[in-house]
Amino acid sequence: MAVLVALWFLLTTLTGTIGGGRFPSPGEFWASLLQISGKGYAGATLLSHAWHSTTLVVMGFLVAIGTGVPLGLWMGWSRRAEALMNPIFLFIRPIPPLAWIPLAILWLGLGDAAKIMVIWFAAFVPSVINAFTGVRTIDRPVLEAAAMLGTPRWRLVQEVILPAALPMIFTGLRLSLQAAWTTLVAAELVGALVGVGFVLNVAQQDIYPGMILVGMVTVGVLGWATTWLLGHAERRALAWNVAAGA
Amino acid sequence: MGSIRFDKVDKVFGPKTGGMKVLEGIDLVIGEKEFVAIVGPSGCGKTTCLRMVAGFEAPSAGSVSVNGREITSPGPDRAVVFQQFALFPWKTVRENIDLGLRNKRLPRSERSDRIAGALKLMNLESHAEAFPHQLSGGMQQRVAIARAYVLDPEVLLMDEPFGALDAQTRVVMQEELVRLARRNPRTVLFITHAVEEAVYLADRVAIMTRRPGRIKEVLDVKPVRLAENWDRLARIEDVMDLESFVHLRTQIWRSLREEKGPHGV
Ligand SMILES: Nc1ncnc2c1ncn2[C@@H]1O[C@H](COP(=O)(O)OP(=O)(O)OP(=O)(O)O)[C@@H](O)[C@H]1O
Ligand SMILES: [Mg+2]
Repeated sequence: MAVLVALWFLLTTLTGTIGGGRFPSPGEFWASLLQISGKGYAGATLLSHAWHSTTLVVMGFLVAIGTGVPLGLWMGWSRRAEALMNPIFLFIRPIPPLAWIPLAILWLGLGDAAKIMVIWFAAFVPSVINAFTGVRTIDRPVLEAAAMLGTPRWRLVQEVILPAALPMIFTGLRLSLQAAWTTLVAAELVGALVGVGFVLNVAQQDIYPGMILVGMVTVGVLGWATTWLLGHAERRALAWNVAAGA
Repeated sequence: MGSIRFDKVDKVFGPKTGGMKVLEGIDLVIGEKEFVAIVGPSGCGKTTCLRMVAGFEAPSAGSVSVNGREITSPGPDRAVVFQQFALFPWKTVRENIDLGLRNKRLPRSERSDRIAGALKLMNLESHAEAFPHQLSGGMQQRVAIARAYVLDPEVLLMDEPFGALDAQTRVVMQEELVRLARRNPRTVLFITHAVEEAVYLADRVAIMTRRPGRIKEVLDVKPVRLAENWDRLARIEDVMDLESFVHLRTQIWRSLREEKGPHGV
């Protein structure tokens, strides 16, 4: 990291290999950061932009996994559900999430609802697929052991199917979270009045490289932080698995 | 309560895709509280027999019944000890053993008493809160046995339960199982590769042919064991030294050897 920053400083400020106006120097970056943190930029401070974006991502993510994981589990468990849902799914899946943005804006306007909807559509898919795969790859003997012990249906779902599929479900959640960030920033680029994507959009129109970089770094940091939190939850939930070194 | 009956059972896997006949005309009655071991060459269909009693597999022809009722689904009246343990990795040893008891809706105090008994029996007391991955293969298998025993089932189905154990642990488990079986007899279908184990544990030993598996012969061990009073000896090696034991073992070996053909196992 330190090496990277040193290299950056070397290439821009010291030698001018990358000319001004094309890529910001550390100095410009710092100035932009101070400006948006204090006075604000694009209508708000960095903190409110970041907070707004993060809230949207988390909400869209929660809606997506709240619907996607149960659907995936259900499709994994029941061949009927798979036969019913899979054709719809196969049709919707190739549509890039960003292609929903115009429709979402048309339906729900430039507000938060449209963005949550787009995030939902983007983050939904990995949750469904991985939960589905998680159920389909459960060891048959484990299911047979549960049946042999006379495990009732609801307890089977809670105590056998869900935990058995959990490692795969978490893989899905990580992909969903990534998709949520990508999609949100894209959605804010197209239409928003606040948020990190909006900062990027305004900075681009102002031809303000320092601020563009601040926006990008912010997205990176926020994405990293939320992924870290998710990884933390995963380690706690899968303690039995980590213990195996698996 | 607890007799098992195989009545002219055939089993064909994949009948739509040509099909492979695994079992042919299996006729076997295991009486109430009788301990029957099945031995036979690898792949002859021993596990398949057990899975039909457990309710995981249906016969292609004939019927399998317990207490005169044809088997339609798995259930806790027929506890299974699986060849591959099949523990729940996300549950502790205690929770693994507890699940069947909770499913039976037993009161908490009875559950903890039974679990304590099973842990003691299997020498797992100090590992009650461990996860399966933290245990050796032998310990995992003991958990699987405890999980089945604790249900106090009418019928106990054991598929090579000691296969993964080291020699010392295996001997201890075998002796323990004999004590348990004599003290608290129940209907047991026991599958093994080990001829000595079969003779030592079982009342009768059924020998199977190569695929498609048939019951080739059934040897009565119990009359010999009673006549020669094997149970006076606590240690398996002392029993294995007895002439009556050696005689039965050799008989089974001969019979199996004919099945294995010129190329050995
Ligand atoms: N679900 C299945 N589908 C298709 N074939 C199967 C299935 N289960 C078992 N078989 C086949 O049936 C045959 C008998 O299997 P089984 O597991 O009953 O043998 P086994 O006597 O228990 O062997 P081992 O001593 O190696 O455990 C084998 O050839 C196996 O490949
Ligand atoms: Mg087998």
